[in-house]
Amino acid sequence: MDLFRLTVATLLARKMWVVAIFAAIITPLVFPLFTPHEANTMLLEPARAQAAWTCTWFIGILWTLSQAARFGDSNSRTGVGAYFRAQGIGSLRQIFGIWSAIMLFLLPVVIIAVATCLLFAMPADAREGTMWVWTNLQFAALFLFTIGPLALLGVGLASRFGALIGYLLPTGLCLYGLYGVTRLGMMIRLRDDNKLVEWIYSISPHYHLADLTPRLIFKMGHIPWAEFGLFLCYFATITVVLGSSATLLFRTDPLRN
Amino acid sequence: MGRLITCKRAPPAPRWPELAGVERAVHFPFREMSSRIPHPQASVKLSQGLGIGYRSLLAEVTEDIPLENGTHYLLARNGRGKTTLLKTIAGLIKTVAGSFETRGHCQFIGDEFFFDRELKPQSIFKALIPADRRQEAFHLAELLELDARKEFGKLSFGNRKKVGLVVAEFRLREQEPNLLLYDEPFTGLDTPAREAIRERWEATKDQALRIISCHPDFDSMSMPSALLISDGKIFLGGDGALTWADFKDRLN
Repeated sequence: MDLFRLTVATLLARKMWVVAIFAAIITPLVFPLFTPHEANTMLLEPARAQAAWTCTWFIGILWTLSQAARFGDSNSRTGVGAYFRAQGIGSLRQIFGIWSAIMLFLLPVVIIAVATCLLFAMPADAREGTMWVWTNLQFAALFLFTIGPLALLGVGLASRFGALIGYLLPTGLCLYGLYGVTRLGMMIRLRDDNKLVEWIYSISPHYHLADLTPRLIFKMGHIPWAEFGLFLCYFATITVVLGSSATLLFRTDPLRN
Repeated sequence: MGRLITCKRAPPAPRWPELAGVERAVHFPFREMSSRIPHPQASVKLSQGLGIGYRSLLAEVTEDIPLENGTHYLLARNGRGKTTLLKTIAGLIKTVAGSFETRGHCQFIGDEFFFDRELKPQSIFKALIPADRRQEAFHLAELLELDARKEFGKLSFGNRKKVGLVVAEFRLREQEPNLLLYDEPFTGLDTPAREAIRERWEATKDQALRIISCHPDFDSMSMPSALLISDGKIFLGGDGALTWADFKDRLN
């Protein structure tokens, strides 16, 4: 709990959260105005939803993951990790203390994205409205299921290998899961004779499944609940894999010790 | 939070259950409380044959060394194993040989125990020091001429060390044995700050067992109890009246 409080105090002191919250509020209100909304007023609401969630992804990848790496690195390098470990606070409690504080600051950003979609982009039709609410809530859950474990991995990696690796690896994994995997899928569809590529595809993290922006833009409705359950199971499995790796990698003191 | 015992675990310390209600109802000033109630005794016992080091043996305990509440200085020249011994006692690194016992809530304050650059000491104290002791902590900070409103990154090296010292001193547990391991806390501290810290340790010597590693910079400093590391041997020295200068020859 002490490390959680210390991490919260540090995040508050760094003040970057103000920029993140400000961006999360302003982006979905300003960016849609650059669309030709005067010609087609129907564009404005989907553009707001798109801007809100794109901004959330940006904040998650650029800010949350970088903070995770920075805290993981400094905890082992500055003696804070050793200080708490000497008090009997083991690796597991330390990594989750840091991680939960970081996630606490991401939560308002996600809430703002959902609130923006519900307040400024809500469809007029009641049936569509219900689906809109569920789609946003599903999006929020999947988004947190994506960034959360990656942040945990970032803390673990950075505590062992430094902030740069602690940031670049989870970020690379996230971008690969969001965009690279779909490219790989297209490649397999064009040439289905490469078993290695197929194997890589199957073990890759399919984070693109967590990006429900197209569903919001094209009002495709929420993911059917049975399918969403499977999605949750899939992301829970990734969480277990990344979480275990992160806790195994996590160090309370630098590698030389 | 934290552990009571490290390594070879002794039975848990008495919890003084009869005082639980009193503590909640009345807040005793630190010294007053210490004079009324005997504080649980922390202890460290380094057994003969205990070997410390990273993989290979750096130093070895030549005879059983029992330590109890009070201030014990750890003296050795560079690279002889001061930090290694403290880390071993704190449970941060494994022994090379032998065993030791500790009893008490352990705090290890490394020589580079630093916080985020943007954090102010006042925020650190708020995050880490219990609310009922925070005022006293700010008082000690003031006494040490530590500006608690200045960002940690803007503090001098000595003032950064003071932050760790204040945090550790006011995270002592009131009804448990306490074990404080300081790795070169005086580096960068001026004489008045050093004296203020030593006064604090003297006033609260029955509250904690402190082991303090030191450098040969303070010739006139008295050493009531000293652990020495020399020629790969760890042994107890000093009869309470010696100074660092007296130990110098032995270490050289």
